[in-house]
Amino acid sequence: MQTAKRDIAVSMTGISKRFGPVRALENANLEIARGSILGLVGQNGAGKSTIIKVLAGIIKPDSGSIVINGETVSALTPASVEKLGVHFIHQDRLLVPTATVGEAVFLGHEIGLGPFVSRRAMERKAADLLKRFFGMELPAGTLVKDLTTAQQKVVQITRALAQKASVLVLDEPTAALVKREVDSLFDVLRRLRDDGIAVVFISHYMQEIEKLCDRVTVMRNGTDVGTVDPRQTPIDEIIAMMIARDVGEMFPKRSVTLGAPVLEVSNLRLAGSFENIGFNVRAGEIVGLTGLLGSGAKEIVQCLFGLKTADGGQIKVEGRELSLSTPVRAVRDGIAMLPEDRRAHGVALGLSVRENISLASLRRYSRTGMVSRGAENQAVDGLIKELSIKTPHRDALVRELSGGNQQKVAIAKWLSCQSRVYVLDEPTVAVDVGAKVEIYNLLNRLAGEGAAILLLSSDLLELVGVCDRVLVVYRGRLAGSFSGPAMNSDALLAASSGARSNVDGVAA
Amino acid sequence: MSVSVNDNSAKVSVRGFLAKYSVLIAFAAIVIFFAVATPTFLTPANLFNVLVNNVVMLAIVALGLTIVISSGGIDLSVGVSVDMASMIFVMLLAAGYSGVVGVAGGLGAALIVGVLNAILITRLNISPFLATLGVLFIGQSTQQLATSGGQPIYLTSGYAADQFNAIARTALFGAPTPVIVLIVLVVAVHVLLHRSVFGRYVQAMGAQPGVAWYSGIRVPRELSMVHVLCALLAGVTGILLSATVKSYVPLSGNAFLLDAIGATFIGTTLSRERKPSVIGTLLGVLLLAIVKNGLLLVGWNFYWQQVGIGVLVFLVLAASFGLRRAAH
Repeated sequence: MQTAKRDIAVSMTGISKRFGPVRALENANLEIARGSILGLVGQNGAGKSTIIKVLAGIIKPDSGSIVINGETVSALTPASVEKLGVHFIHQDRLLVPTATVGEAVFLGHEIGLGPFVSRRAMERKAADLLKRFFGMELPAGTLVKDLTTAQQKVVQITRALAQKASVLVLDEPTAALVKREVDSLFDVLRRLRDDGIAVVFISHYMQEIEKLCDRVTVMRNGTDVGTVDPRQTPIDEIIAMMIARDVGEMFPKRSVTLGAPVLEVSNLRLAGSFENIGFNVRAGEIVGLTGLLGSGAKEIVQCLFGLKTADGGQIKVEGRELSLSTPVRAVRDGIAMLPEDRRAHGVALGLSVRENISLASLRRYSRTGMVSRGAENQAVDGLIKELSIKTPHRDALVRELSGGNQQKVAIAKWLSCQSRVYVLDEPTVAVDVGAKVEIYNLLNRLAGEGAAILLLSSDLLELVGVCDRVLVVYRGRLAGSFSGPAMNSDALLAASSGARSNVDGVAA
Repeated sequence: MSVSVNDNSAKVSVRGFLAKYSVLIAFAAIVIFFAVATPTFLTPANLFNVLVNNVVMLAIVALGLTIVISSGGIDLSVGVSVDMASMIFVMLLAAGYSGVVGVAGGLGAALIVGVLNAILITRLNISPFLATLGVLFIGQSTQQLATSGGQPIYLTSGYAADQFNAIARTALFGAPTPVIVLIVLVVAVHVLLHRSVFGRYVQAMGAQPGVAWYSGIRVPRELSMVHVLCALLAGVTGILLSATVKSYVPLSGNAFLLDAIGATFIGTTLSRERKPSVIGTLLGVLLLAIVKNGLLLVGWNFYWQQVGIGVLVFLVLAASFGLRRAAH
């Protein structure tokens, strides 16, 4: 422990950051030691990504101090941080897709003479590094977009190593990887740790934290609530630190008598994504859907809203068979979609709350093609009140609302439409804990009123807390259906990663 | 409930009024400047001339562009729509057809341009900028090919030709006929863009096309309508143009393009929500027309007029920002 203390690579103390009324970080601390792997966990909105962005120089903190390699630094920029040897592997692939592997590895540090770049030298050196560190051999001049996600991660890590990284921060690096790739990534990270590099590993998956990390720092509500050794601390205890309130309180309980099946899917198939998918969602039921990136879960949801056209199979709503080729058809047939990318697909930030809420149901508030403002205003005011959307007035731009309230506007749009089936795609991402609970309450109420709800989520705690039943997709097939006591995050995780399946449950 | 409704709309309109007020101040300043600088500016004959020759035709083209720009797109081929309508209208009249056939043919020609744009944009997924740029090139060459290298077609006196020219030059209900046409179109487009379901869809597509699609709006259909409407409005200008000058001059429609885009964006900047609007566009057109005419009367030559317009546009916009900030 004494040596570790002296080997601090990065020390962030008392970091605070507000965005308008939202307190993203409040007196948060983070200490990263050399030759060790630090896990960073916390719920969405707990401040994990904010504190990492502060370290990356993307966000300027309001207060606090940062010491890197013994030197107090101020006014960090992404470039100056990299010069200090701190490198980030962000969750989204931040590689230029049309670049070659060599160009990607040396991006920003091109090898060459003066303004001229020596492509051949870069390709050769990149190939050397890939082989030396990872035993990976790629044809010369391979383009980044032709690599698998795991290979892209490796290229990103290689880029950091080529710049002599001393601190490596990985944000959800395993989200898109299959188990074998995860294992080899872990081997790489352990090797880097043994070489004295400080590794920060951000993950939602407790099992990964337990397996890989030497220490884990837990964040909650914008501050660090403790750092523990994951090998000596039970996972439940770490989760309790993350949540710090009764899960029963976070996920409001409800009792609903389920009605007839509203959404019936059978034998649904999309080439290259999934096949033989069949399930029902009954009136009043909340069914969860989960799977790793690339498992096909996302594509199932897209087919249900006409964003992709299934190659075969049946989708029925209230017994009527639908042909979903576009969202136009889906909306008309009573299907509502809460998309993952709220800003691109959920709400138009430049339109008012009123215009957003009535957008999908304008026909209800119009006669001979003209919008009746009276009817529209009345309906919109009703929904603002009903969902307690915090907005100065109905004509305020949605841009001025908080993330949670924006999400409520997106839900209100479908309430105005009186949709029967709600398909939700990661509805609580980037929403603070308070608004999350409100959204869960809203889902419960929708279900209580007889709607059928399909919730696609990668937040296993959320699925367990909210759903009556969870379906797990693994490699394009239903790998399990869990309900009651069998529905716990360990079982879901195991089924998602193909380690365990519960195909018996699927038939039920 | 109704009380709070009134409260909100009152608040909104007061702020909107302040924003508009700053523009009016700038307008008044410009008008007073020209009235003092040149005695002819405020004469009825000159104002009539400004309205009919500088405002009406530009404004109608700009109305169409306001719809397109609201939808998040652009139409660089409005000049082609103007020209095609003008060309077919004049050719039909010159061949002895009646005025009704001439107008129908002219609008039909503009419609074809609009449909072509719509197909390129919604079926082939070409960006509006490139699609309409391509149509602009094709349309220009087509005119030159059809008129042996760009020869104008003149309407010799005949029943329909004289009748149209007379209509274009006389007054109806005490206002010049083209002005009546403009008023009707302004009201129609205003209602369409700011009161109708279609207008709401257009605004949504302009604000965030993904959200429009995810809300079940038939985006390709609405977008096609947008481009067809824009081309038809430009076609109306083409017919008015030919009726006024009794001729078709190839490629004359292009002169409207930049002025109409300019007027629409000036209107956008002046509006409180920074969105294209019919009223804003109309103010933009008036501003451009008054400045152009005033500088001409003051005696500046064409090239210095362009410089003057550029400078005045900057000044008016700067003044509007300044006044708006002061009002807050």
